[in-house]
Amino acid sequence: MKILIIILSLSLISQKVNSQVDNQFQMNIYKNIRCLVCQGQSIADSNSDFAQTIKLVIDDKIKEGKNEDEIYEFLISKYGEWIVYRPELKKTNFFLWFFPYIALLLGGILILSLFRKKNLKNKK
Amino acid sequence: MLSNLGIFSIVLTLLISFLLVYNSTILFKKNNQILLQKIINLSLSQLFFSILCFILLIYGYVSSDFSLINVFQNSHTSKPLFFKIAGTWGNHEGSLLLWINILVIFSYFFLIKGKNYNINFRLITLIIQNFLIIGFLLFLLITSNPFVPIYPVPSEGLGLNPILQDPALAIHPPLLYVGFVGSSIYFSAAIASLMTNFKGKEFANSIKTWVLISWVFQSLGIIVGSIWAYYELGWGGFWFWDPVENASLMPWFVITALMHSVIVLEKRNTIYSWVIILCLLTFILSVTGTFLVRSGILNSVHTFASDPSRGLYILIYLSIMVVGSFLAFFKYQQKEIYNFSLKSKETFVLVNNWFMLFFLITVILGTLYPIFLEVLIQKKISVGPPFYNILIIPIVIPFLIFMAIGPKISWIKHNSVKIWPIIYLLILATILNFIIIYFFGSYSILTNLIIISAIFLIINTLIDLKNSFAKKGDSSFSRIISHLGFAFLIFFIGINNHFSLEKDFNLKVGDKVKFENYKLDFKDLSIKERKNHKAIIGNFIFLNKMTGVEEKLFPEIRIYDQPKTLTYEASIKTKLSHDVYLTMSNIERSDYYNIKFQKKNFMIWIWLSAFIITIGGFLRLFKKN
Repeated sequence: MKILIIILSLSLISQKVNSQVDNQFQMNIYKNIRCLVCQGQSIADSNSDFAQTIKLVIDDKIKEGKNEDEIYEFLISKYGEWIVYRPELKKTNFFLWFFPYIALLLGGILILSLFRKKNLKNKK
Repeated sequence: MLSNLGIFSIVLTLLISFLLVYNSTILFKKNNQILLQKIINLSLSQLFFSILCFILLIYGYVSSDFSLINVFQNSHTSKPLFFKIAGTWGNHEGSLLLWINILVIFSYFFLIKGKNYNINFRLITLIIQNFLIIGFLLFLLITSNPFVPIYPVPSEGLGLNPILQDPALAIHPPLLYVGFVGSSIYFSAAIASLMTNFKGKEFANSIKTWVLISWVFQSLGIIVGSIWAYYELGWGGFWFWDPVENASLMPWFVITALMHSVIVLEKRNTIYSWVIILCLLTFILSVTGTFLVRSGILNSVHTFASDPSRGLYILIYLSIMVVGSFLAFFKYQQKEIYNFSLKSKETFVLVNNWFMLFFLITVILGTLYPIFLEVLIQKKISVGPPFYNILIIPIVIPFLIFMAIGPKISWIKHNSVKIWPIIYLLILATILNFIIIYFFGSYSILTNLIIISAIFLIINTLIDLKNSFAKKGDSSFSRIISHLGFAFLIFFIGINNHFSLEKDFNLKVGDKVKFENYKLDFKDLSIKERKNHKAIIGNFIFLNKMTGVEEKLFPEIRIYDQPKTLTYEASIKTKLSHDVYLTMSNIERSDYYNIKFQKKNFMIWIWLSAFIITIGGFLRLFKKN
C-alpha cells in the first residue's frame, strides 16, 4: 500500500519534467548513455530518477547548441567513460575497435593461403 | 526427509559416475561383452538417479516444502502451479541440477545409439563425459546444493522474481540448456576421436545428429529468450547486445560453423582438425558463458542468479577443461593435406566459418574487453549496442551475398561460376529495395545495402526452393528453409530497425499528444487487485489520423508483494504490418508518467523468420537418412 501511495500521491517536490522528446537525434543520444544506477539499461530504456535527470541535462545541452560529441565529452568528464555505450576511439580502445577486422583479414588470408599452397604443388 | 533423499540420490549418481569411469577403463583394455552390458546398465541407473534428483526437487517446489532453503528462497504458496514447477530451474541450484540431467541424458543416449561405432571410441567418450558429469556433481554438492535443509521450517517462502514468472521464460532455460549442454557430448566425442583415431566420415556421422539437436535447441532458446525480453522487459527491443545475451550467442556462432563444417567432413573427409576444434570450442564457450553469468562478473539485466564465490569453482573447472582438451588436441592431431579448389562448396563452407568466427571474435571482445581493461588499467568502459552495430552490420552484407552463392556451387570443383545471373539478381534486388525505401520514405546507405543483400539472398534461395521441388528426393530442402528464414530475418530486422517510430513522453492523466499522423490520449488510471499483485492500469487511446483507426492500450505498473518488486507491463497490439508498443512508468516525486510509445514494423515477421530457421533444423532431424 505504501508504495502505491508513493506512486500515486503528488509529492510536494514536483519535479521539472520535460514533456516530449521530439526527434531521433535526441533518442540516439539517449540510447548511447548508460543509466548508471540500473542494470545494463540505457537512459532511453530506464525511468529512474537518474535517467530523467540526465535526459534533462542532454536536452539543455542540445538547446545550448552543443553537438553529439560535445555532449558525450561533457558527460564523460562528469561520470567517466563508463557512461557511454559506444567506446571512444582512442589509444586504450584501439584493440577493441580494430582487432575484429584484423582477425577477419587474417582469416581471409588463411583461407586463400590454403589454395596458394595447393596451386604451387600442382605447378611443380 | 526430502533433503536427505535428494542428497542421497546426488551422491549415488556421483558414485555411479565413478563406477562408469572405472569399468570403462577396464573394458578399454580387454574387450568383454558382459562388461559392456554392465556399463550400459550403470549408465541407465545413472540416468535414473539423476532424473530422480530433479523430480524430487520439482516435488519440493510443487508441495511448497520450505524445509529446503532453495524452495524457501525461490517459491511461495500463492504462486500458480506452472510457475512453481518452472521455479525449479529459475535459480542457480535448480538450473545446475537441470544442467547435470542433460549431461547425463546425452551421455546415455550417445552410448546406446552408437552401437555401430568403434567400441573404444564409445568408451573414451563415455569416460570423458563422466569426468564432466563428476565435475558438475561436485560443484553442485560443494557450492550449490539445492537440498540444503533449513530449521526451523519457515511457514512461507520468499517468492520468485515476478519478471521471471512468465511462460516464455519458463521454457527458455531448458531449451537453452539442451543446446549448451548437449554440446558436451561432441566435446567428449572429439577428444575420444583424437585418442582412438576414430576419424573422418565415421566421426562426422557419429556426431552430426547431436550437433543438429543442440543447434536447434540453442536457436530456439535464444529466440524464446528474445521474445520474452521484447514483451517483458518493456523497452520494445528484442536484442540488447547485453553481456548475458552475448554469452548465449558465443557458442551459437561456433555451433553454426560446426554444423556446416561437419557436412564437409562427412562428404569430403577433410578439415577434420578444424571440426575437432569447433567441437571443443562450442562446449568450452558454453561453460564460459555460464561462468560469466553465474559469477556475477557481468553487469546485466539478466543476472538473476549470481554469486562470486561460485565463479572460482567454474573458473578452475573451465581451465582444466580448456588445458586438458587442447593438450589432447596437440598431442594427437595429425597433419592433414587440404585438397580442394577455390571454386567449390567446401570453400564456401569455410567462408561461412570465417564470418562466424568474425562475429564470435567481435562479440567476445566486446563482452570481455571492459573486464580486462578494468583489471589492467582500472578504467571502466561500456561496450553497448552502438559498438556491435558499427562493427557487425557492414560485414553482414558480404556474408549474405556469399550465403546466396555458396549453396549453388558443387562439391570438389565447380567448373564455371556464371556471373551474369548474379548481376541480374543484384539489380533486381536493388530495384525492389528502392521501392521499399520509397514506400517508407527514409534513407540510409547501410540499411539499403543490408536490404539489397537480404533480398538478393531471398530471391536466390527461392530459386533453389523451386529447383528442389523439381528434383525428387532432394536433400537440400531443410537447408533451403533455414537459409530462407535467415534471409527474411535480416530483411525484416533491417526494415524494422530503420523505419520504426519511437517516442518518449512525460504525461499527466488527461494529456494528449500529437506526433506525425498520430494522436495519443492519456484518458485515466485505474487500480486493480489481482491474485499476487496490484496493478495500476493506464487507459490510452491511440489514433491513426490517416486511417482513422483507433486503438485502446492498457499498459500496467504492477506491484508485487512476494518479493516486493515493481514491474512494468507493456501494452502491445500486434498486427501483421506492425506492433504498437506502449509502456508506462511512474516518475518519482511528480504526477507525471513516463510514456514510451513505439510503432515497430513487421515484428511478428521477425519472430516467424527466426522460427523458420529452426524449422529447417527440425526437418533435417526427422528426415530419413
